[in-house]
Order: sequence, then structure tokens, then C-alpha cells
Amino acid sequence: MTTTENSLKNKSPKYWLSLEQWRQDPDFQRLAEQEFSNSPLREDSGSEGGWARREFLKLMGASMALASFGCVRRPAQAIVPYVKRPKEIVEGIANYYASSFVDGGETFGVVVTTREGRPIHVTGNSSHPINGSGLSARAHAHVLSLYDPARLTGPTKNLQNEKKTNHDTVEVTYEKADQEIADQIRKGKVAILTGSIVSPTDAEIVADFAKGTGAHVYTWDAISHEHYVDAQEHCYGQAVAPRLALEKAKLVLAVNCDFMGTWLQPTQQMRDFSKGRKPGDGMNRLIVIESLLTLTGSNADTRYRIRPTQSTAVLMGLIQELLVNKKTSSYAGDTSVHAILKNYENEIKAALPEAAYAKIAEELLAHKGQSLVLGGNDVSSQIAANFLNSILGNDGVTVDSRRSPNMGFQGKNRNLQALIDGLNKGEIKTVIINNVNPAYAAADKTGFVEALRKAEMAIYVGRCKNETGKYCDFVLPDHHPMEGWGDVEGQKGVFSVRQPTIEPLYNSRSFGDTLIAVAKVGNFGALAKADSVYTFVKNRFETKLHTNWTHALQEGVVDTVTAARAANDSARPFRVAALQMAAHKATPHADLELVLYPSIGLRDGSMANVPWLQEFPDPITKICWDNTLIVSPKLAQDRKICEGQMVRVKVGDKSVTVPAHIQPGLHDSTIGLALGYGRTDAGQVANNVGVNAVHLSVVRDGGVETSGLPVMIEPTKSYETLANTQVYSAMSGKTREGIDMGHRQIVVEATLEQYKKDPSANIEREKIVSAWSGFSYTGYKWGMSVDLNLCTGCSACVIACQSENNIATVGKKYVSQGREMFWVRVDRYYVGTPDEPDAVHIPVMCQHCDNAPCETVCPVAATVHSPEGTNDMIYNRCVGTRYCSNNCPYKVRRFNWFNYPRMTPELHASPMHMQLNPEVTVRERGVMEKCTFCTQRIHQAKNQAKLEDRKVHDGEIQTACQSSCPTNAIVFGDLNDPKSKLSQMLAEPRYYGLLEELNTRPAVQYASKIRNTDVLKSEESPHKEKHHEKHEEKGGHHV
Amino acid sequence: MAAKKIIGAVLGLGITFGFCVFVYAITNNKVVIGYNQNYEPTQPIPYSHALHAGKLGLNCKYCHTTAEISRHASVPPLNVCMNCHLTVRQVNGKDSPYIAQLVDAYMNDKPVQWQKVNLLPDHVKFNHAPHIKAGKQCQECHGPVETMDRVKQYQSFSMGYCVNCHRRPENNAPTNCSTCHY
Repeated sequence: MTTTENSLKNKSPKYWLSLEQWRQDPDFQRLAEQEFSNSPLREDSGSEGGWARREFLKLMGASMALASFGCVRRPAQAIVPYVKRPKEIVEGIANYYASSFVDGGETFGVVVTTREGRPIHVTGNSSHPINGSGLSARAHAHVLSLYDPARLTGPTKNLQNEKKTNHDTVEVTYEKADQEIADQIRKGKVAILTGSIVSPTDAEIVADFAKGTGAHVYTWDAISHEHYVDAQEHCYGQAVAPRLALEKAKLVLAVNCDFMGTWLQPTQQMRDFSKGRKPGDGMNRLIVIESLLTLTGSNADTRYRIRPTQSTAVLMGLIQELLVNKKTSSYAGDTSVHAILKNYENEIKAALPEAAYAKIAEELLAHKGQSLVLGGNDVSSQIAANFLNSILGNDGVTVDSRRSPNMGFQGKNRNLQALIDGLNKGEIKTVIINNVNPAYAAADKTGFVEALRKAEMAIYVGRCKNETGKYCDFVLPDHHPMEGWGDVEGQKGVFSVRQPTIEPLYNSRSFGDTLIAVAKVGNFGALAKADSVYTFVKNRFETKLHTNWTHALQEGVVDTVTAARAANDSARPFRVAALQMAAHKATPHADLELVLYPSIGLRDGSMANVPWLQEFPDPITKICWDNTLIVSPKLAQDRKICEGQMVRVKVGDKSVTVPAHIQPGLHDSTIGLALGYGRTDAGQVANNVGVNAVHLSVVRDGGVETSGLPVMIEPTKSYETLANTQVYSAMSGKTREGIDMGHRQIVVEATLEQYKKDPSANIEREKIVSAWSGFSYTGYKWGMSVDLNLCTGCSACVIACQSENNIATVGKKYVSQGREMFWVRVDRYYVGTPDEPDAVHIPVMCQHCDNAPCETVCPVAATVHSPEGTNDMIYNRCVGTRYCSNNCPYKVRRFNWFNYPRMTPELHASPMHMQLNPEVTVRERGVMEKCTFCTQRIHQAKNQAKLEDRKVHDGEIQTACQSSCPTNAIVFGDLNDPKSKLSQMLAEPRYYGLLEELNTRPAVQYASKIRNTDVLKSEESPHKEKHHEKHEEKGGHHV
Repeated sequence: MAAKKIIGAVLGLGITFGFCVFVYAITNNKVVIGYNQNYEPTQPIPYSHALHAGKLGLNCKYCHTTAEISRHASVPPLNVCMNCHLTVRQVNGKDSPYIAQLVDAYMNDKPVQWQKVNLLPDHVKFNHAPHIKAGKQCQECHGPVETMDRVKQYQSFSMGYCVNCHRRPENNAPTNCSTCHY
């Protein structure tokens, strides 16, 4: 062992990407040091065409000269102009339509980019009050779901036998289907099963239909917020889903509530939270107490770990501190409250140290009416959180239940259970299912399928024939949201239009129109006289909202609560009796507790067949193409579980077997498993990817419990390779004699106090002596800034970039070989010990260095510097030496090892190619590619400016990542213009360049992360050293 | 043995001769490999630019409307043809079968599959609008289209062709790679 190695052994890096790096694992070193994993030329090319590539090249060399002899290539191509060109279409120029999109209960105002009639990209609608210009990764992937090859092409009838086991289908016409359905409905006993309806038009149509047919409507959501809504009802008598007014909160306490990841409206919540994130006086503070390491937890200023079942206890502890010890509220003398608290006494002590309660309570008190307490996904913790919000005076201020609460999230498992009971008892004979998929996503899915089989007729309206559709008699294709009219009222008073952006691709019909058509045939009530969804929508905006229809279509949104949103309400009276429901039940803690959580990429699994989402690296685990059992390092060590080892997970009598992933930051008695995987009838992409964990959830008192489930785990002897994108692309790379590269300055953190003393705190500036003067830029000089203080790591930019730049998905096999193609990756660095780390997210794209190391090593000048400061990649010149990638210190270059559409045809099946952006070259096999700063958008803006004889305005060019960012962490602009927003931002001393010491002079500058906390994890050194030794002794948990 | 030697010699000579012809052709621009200069495909309707643009004097931009604003000059949709051909059905006093073909396509909503004449590879991004804005005449690249009965690709549209013009100082045009390749 050399001295360097020795010294490294004793000192783990301050910021680390994975446990392997923290342990200084030789495997990690090996992977980090080599730019590419094993050359695939031999192993794989055989399957591509029967020729090993090099042999093929040898033969090619000889045959080229002969083949090209006198041969003039004249590829016959056709130009097919329109017969009658729609007047809004100009070939080569995009059209933009304001529309909206609903994902679960989360709503987005979007602008859809279409080219020659094809939607190709989605951006946020900046005038929309809910999400603004920000979007989620899923909202971006929404465009590809339009071209999902698994979509239904026309109405079909399933040829079911008695037991409904036969899944053969015949095509039918809508007329015939409508007639049969109407005849059946006349017999009565009709039920409609739907997800939360956030469209006022759909709600109206469904209500009319129910009135006309006597149907009963059952609302059920795959990812339920029923506990949140139920707790509101218990505490305040209103079954609402309040909006979290985070922009008014100076202190946020989230207890097992992932409000940035999947809870309610995460995009809006991140956006609102970021508004108070400006470092300086009045910067907000986020305390997270949680079991898993969620996206919210990774952004916490202070984070504590608890068991899932301790959520209520922690909140009760704070109530005790505030009421009993500090006597702050009028409830202080309430004996019933005291009795409940008394019950929790032991629990409270077990959950957190006493000092923590005192400290948090003090902070909460200091921010009365300016704080927000969020509970977990169970009724009792929600009730406790409500009580805290009430006694702190937050209700009506940061908890907005009247002015503009969320309209979705009304689905309940009780409703589904009622439907199942009705079917079993024969009280329901006909079921119409609107787009939900209980046969996959219900906690009691077997019960549902059995009950569905008893229905006389089941009608499924949806985009794909999925797990539920195959048990239905009629399967009627629904429009994709981009194909039909609609409206959305995501939050009370915020009305968005949904307008079609493409002619329906297939013979589909929207759910509303289906109900209208059936009502017409059967002459059911008022709906029989209705025209279509379009007239409903138009009527709503014109006569009910008194807006100009054209204006509404252009703007996409009518906000009737702009003023109300900013104002405050009076607090609602809290029903103390509700606290009884949160009273402590003497259930002993299980040894291990399981949390089933919706993953940020797949959520309820409804868009699982979109390859972008399958390949979307989870913002925390960075794993794609699988759901993994996440276990803490200590638990892994105790139970001898290795990374990728298959583990049998047993809850009661149900079990699944999944690969394990060792996740720092987890509570040691908690394990987690993502939902949304394990689809069986979703399509070629999603089928049998991961396991469906939903049936491990427990139904108790009619509600679904997904966290704190007592669980047994049993490691097996088999292993699975996980597609983890954070193993590669380590900028801390090589360890050379004398240079400790593991401790390079990549992410910089400072506490708020440090920042106030010195805005450039903790940034180590290098004194660089350069031998040459560098480029001079006379026109524009493009640059970018990324504010790490605003970046939450949500990774919407990753999918936005993929959508804009035609980036190929490559599949699990190639991702696990390090061949993913993302142009922007979001690195997640841990800091501190593996048990209790903080995390920092840093988006890394091509840094467009002035002194670019890649440019100097390209033997064919395929990557060159432009006069505007960008580093250009010229695909047609590239011969694939990969020297550039080897020499890139940021590891942002991606090589096309294969012809991916041929190697992974299921990920590129027709008609997914219709999404491709015609402004961006589709790269072929054998060429290098990387972030271009969205050069096509730069070109477009420059051309437009040229045509109008002006310069490009500041802010006119928005890169795809920038426009997708919910927190506006990314800013792009002209560095040569001293008045540009970017130039002014970069004048702040908080900005630094990545690996500045290499004198690459990157055009991307990062702003340090400011934590509103006392001490940084990176500065708490003694504890870390001790822990590290402990690991070493036991030999770690090595694969 | 002798037969084999003769065959070998003939083959060798043949290949050498062929190679010489090849080199001659390449160096004297007799053959332009990979480009489509002078490519002149037959079209489904023998539309004559010589008649429309030449004799009748229609402005190019009457049909190719988007050249000033878009990357594509665009082949006109049939409704543009029908602006005139709604009434014009005869050529030299006789009913024209070709105009009938056009009217038929328009009436039955059948798009016409024109053969693409000017070809740029996918990795080249050309934009008409800034070139028109810079005052270039269509003919500078497309040749005397107003004299062509059947349109052909007049220039090679090779990279050299483009760069020659971009390099001239008076054009003040960019020459960095990503001007066209991205």
C-alpha cells in the first residue's frame, strides 16, 4: 500500500456519490478511473448484424473503393405538401398551444410545442399560477405517452367467457357498442369508477350521467391522499385538500411528508418553497423528520431520522412541548389533550431526543403564523399536524383550505371497497371505468378482479388495454389529453383550458363524449341533449367565467383567485375531539417497518410504458429500470445484505422478491420499496420491469396503509445487476500521487451565518496562471448559471433535455454498463456519514469551457470552439475516437455505442419517432454527443433577431433545462451583455466554476448552497472518523 | 496456369484502368460523388417552371411563400395552385390532362408526391430566411429556374460550395461549424 492510498484510507471524501466512494472501494476507483466500461465491440456487435465491427471495417476498407466507382448517389425522396395548408402552419416553424395536464391530482398549465401538427415538446405555461414555467419529469414525458405504441386504436369487445378468463377481442363500432351499453344501463344498478375528477366539465357530465341513469360514482385514486383529506374532515369538518402556501412559510417542518417529490402538487410546492430561499435575512428553513431519504429530506436544512410509525409521536412531542412545557395556546389547559399526550409519553421519548423537541418547538414558536407543519401518509399524524398548525396560527395562512385549495385528491379506498362489495352482492351490474387501473394498483387487487368478473357488463374507457381493461367487456379508447378538449380546475378558482394539439391518432373518443354518446342512445336525462365536451368547455369559459374564448385559449388559464391566494384567511376552529382519533394505540413496534412510496418517475405506474420514465434515474437512489428494496447501510451490515442481492420481503402472508439497494440516510429500522413498477399489461416497455409492491400494503378501517408495515426480510442467494447511473461519471476520478482528487471542490455549501459574514464563504478560489490569452468574443458569449441553493434535484431538466434533444433511451442492460445518454445529469452528493448524510444536488451539463480539454485532443476537429463561446459537437465529422470524452474532466460526453433503435427496438417502436424534434440531428452509431446549450434554440432566436434587424433580447433564449426548472435554478444568457440577467447574477460572489483549478474556464457557473442551519455536516468531523472505523472493523458490506 | 495468369493480368489491367478513369473523373468534376448536381427527376405532374416563372413571370415567392420566414422555402400546397387553376384549365386552347390531374388531386384530397430535387444530407441545417434577408437571389443557388422546364439541382450544394460564399468578407457570414452542423 503506498502512502497516498494509506492516507486516503484514513480520510473519506467530504462529498461522496456512493457508498463505494465513501469507503474508497477499489472497485469504485477502477470504474472512476476508466472512462468507459469494457469495450463492447466483440461482445455485442455479433448480435447486431453477424459481423464483428473490426472485421467488418477491414472488409469495408477494401470494398469501399470498388463500391463507390462511378456510383452517384441519388436517393429518391418525396416532398408531400399539404393539399390545403392550414393557415396557422408554416413548415419549419413551431406552433405553441396553451393547454393543461393532470397527473394523479397534480395539475400543470403547459405550452405544447407542435411541428407540422405533431406535438414534440412540453413546457410550463409561465402565466399559470400553479406551476408557472416549471414542470415535472412526468409532465415532460407526457408528450411521449401520446405516441405510446400500446395505445388502443379503436373500440373493441372482449369475447369473455363465463369466468372472464378469455381475453380475445373483436373490433366493434361505436354505434354498436353504445347501443349495447345503453341497453345494459337501462337495466339499472350502474356504477362509474373514476379517479379524482379535476375537470369541472367532466364533473358536470358525470353528474348529469349519474342523474340520468341512476348511476353511482365511486372515486378512487391509485396514489391516495385519503388520510390527508380525512384528517381535514375530522379536524375541521371539511373534506378538503388544502393548498400548502409555502411561499408564506418561513419555517417548514415536514414529518414523513415528501412535498417536493410526490405529495399533492410537488412542482408548485417546490416553486413556492424556492421563493423564500434567497440567502440573507428572512431565508426560510426546512426541518425534515423522516424514515426514508426522500427528495424533501435531501433538501432539508436539518434532518432527523425516525421510524415510520413514530410520525405521530414526534408531532405529539412538539404539541407537548408547546402546550405543556411552554403553555402557548388556549388548549394548554385542555385535559383531554393532556390525556392523549400522556399516552404517548414513552413513544415521544423514543422518537427524538428531548433537546430536539425543545429546539424545534422554540423555532415554531418564533415563527407563529409563518410556519407550516406537514404530517405523513396516515390519519393520526395528519391530525396531529393539523392541531399544530392550528395552535401555531398557521391555518388560513400557510394552510389554504378555503381560498384556493386543491380540487383533486378526493379518491378513497373506501369507495373502491364499496364498489367491490356492491359487485359481490349483486347490487351493481354494470361498471363504467374511467382510466383507472385497480386491477394493477388497488391494495386489494385480487378482490377487485374477482368482483369485476361478477359484473354483467364492465366498460373500460382508457388509452391502453391494461390489467383492468382485459377483464372488461367493452374497451373504448380514450383520447390522449393532447388530442381532446377539456378543462382543469386544479385549485379552486384556477381554470385551465385543455385544447387538442393534434388530430386524434386513432379512432378514440374522450370519456365525456363517450358518456354523452351513450346518454343520447339511451335517452338518459339532460345529457342526451348535450352536444359535446367542447361545447361544455366553451360554454364554461364564455358564459360562466365571462372570458373571451380566444383569449382563454391563448392564455390557457383563467385565474379568478389571484388576489385571494396572496391574502390570508381566518383560522378554522379545531375540533379537539378529532385528537382522539390520533390517540395512541398500543401496537408494538415491529422489528422492521416497510414504507411503500410512489417513485418520482413512475408514481402510480400509469405512464410506465414511456421509456423516458423507466430510464429516469430516481433523484435519490439514481437507479432506473427497477424498483429496489432500499435498506440503510447499518441494516445491510447487520443482515448481511449486499448491493443487488435479491431479498424476499414478507408482509403478513404476502411477499415479493426484489434486489436490494443500500441507501445512506435511511432509518435503520426502515426499508422502502417503490410503487409503480411490475406492470403486466402496460406494453412492451414496462411489462415485468420491477415488481408490483402494492399488494404488500394493508387495508385497515377502509383506508390503505403504505407506511410502517411490519415486515420480515430474508436475503436470498441470487443477485441482480442494478442500473445505477451514479456509479460512473465521477468527476473526482483518478487518484494521482500527491493530488487528492477525492477532495476536489465540486459542490460548495455554507451556512446562512457564514454566508452573511462572507458571501463567498467556503469557496476556494484558485490562482491560475495561464500561458495564453484565450479566445476573445466580440458578439454574444453564451453562459449559464446554476443556483445549487435553488436546485432541489427533482430532475425535470433531465427529461426536458431528452425531449428537446432527441436523446435515445438505451435500456437497462446498457445503463448498467454506463452507456446512458443523458446530456444533463443531476449528481447527488452525500455529505457526512452514511448513516446521517446531507445531500446536495448538482445538475451537470457540458460546461462549454473556454479552454476546453476536449477540443485539443480531437484528431479530426469534430469538437470545436465557436465564436460565441459554445463548445460545438459536429456529428458528421466525428469518427468516434472518444479521446474527447476521455479528456473531459466533467464526464458529460456521451458516446453512441450502438444503433439503439435496432438494439432496443421496443424502446423506439413506431410511432414514438413522431416525437423527434426536427431541429436536432438524430445521432447515429459511433459518434460522440453532448449538451449543446440547446444550440437549435440559439439559432432560432438569432435568426429571428436577424430578420427583425435587432440583437437577441435577454431572456429570449431559454434552454430546455432552464425552462423546465420549477425553481428557476438555471439561467442562460449573454455574458458579453453587462445588463443581462446572467451577467448581473454572476457578479455575486456566491458563484464558482466546477474544477476551476484546471483552468478550463467553464461557461457554466454554480452558486454555492446555503443551508439555514448552525453547522454543516461536512464540518462535523470527529463523529465521522469514529463511524468510519466501525465500518472498517466489520469489513463493510462488500459485493 | 497460363490461363489463370492471363485472367489475373486482365483483371489487374482492368482495375488499374478503371482506377485511372475514376481519378480523372473525380479531379475534372465529371463525377461528383455523393452530391446530386444536375439531378433532374421526373415529377408526377410535369409542372414547368419555365412557363410559370419564366413566361408568365410569377414571382418565386408567390408559391414558395415561407422562404422569407422559415427554414424551408416549402413546396406550395395545392390550394395555392388552385388560386389560378380554379379557372385556368387549358393550355394553348386545349384542356390539359396535367391540370386535370392537379384538380383531381385537389378535389379528392390526395396530396401529390413530388420528387425532391435539391438534396442536403440530414446533418446539414440550411435556413432560407436569413439568406433571403441578406439579399440573395433565389437564382444564385438554384440557377435559372425560370428557364427550366423540369427543375434540376443546379449547384453541387457541397460544403465547399456553401463555404466559398460564406467566406467572402462582403457577406459577413459565419463560418464556424455549428452554423450548419448541430
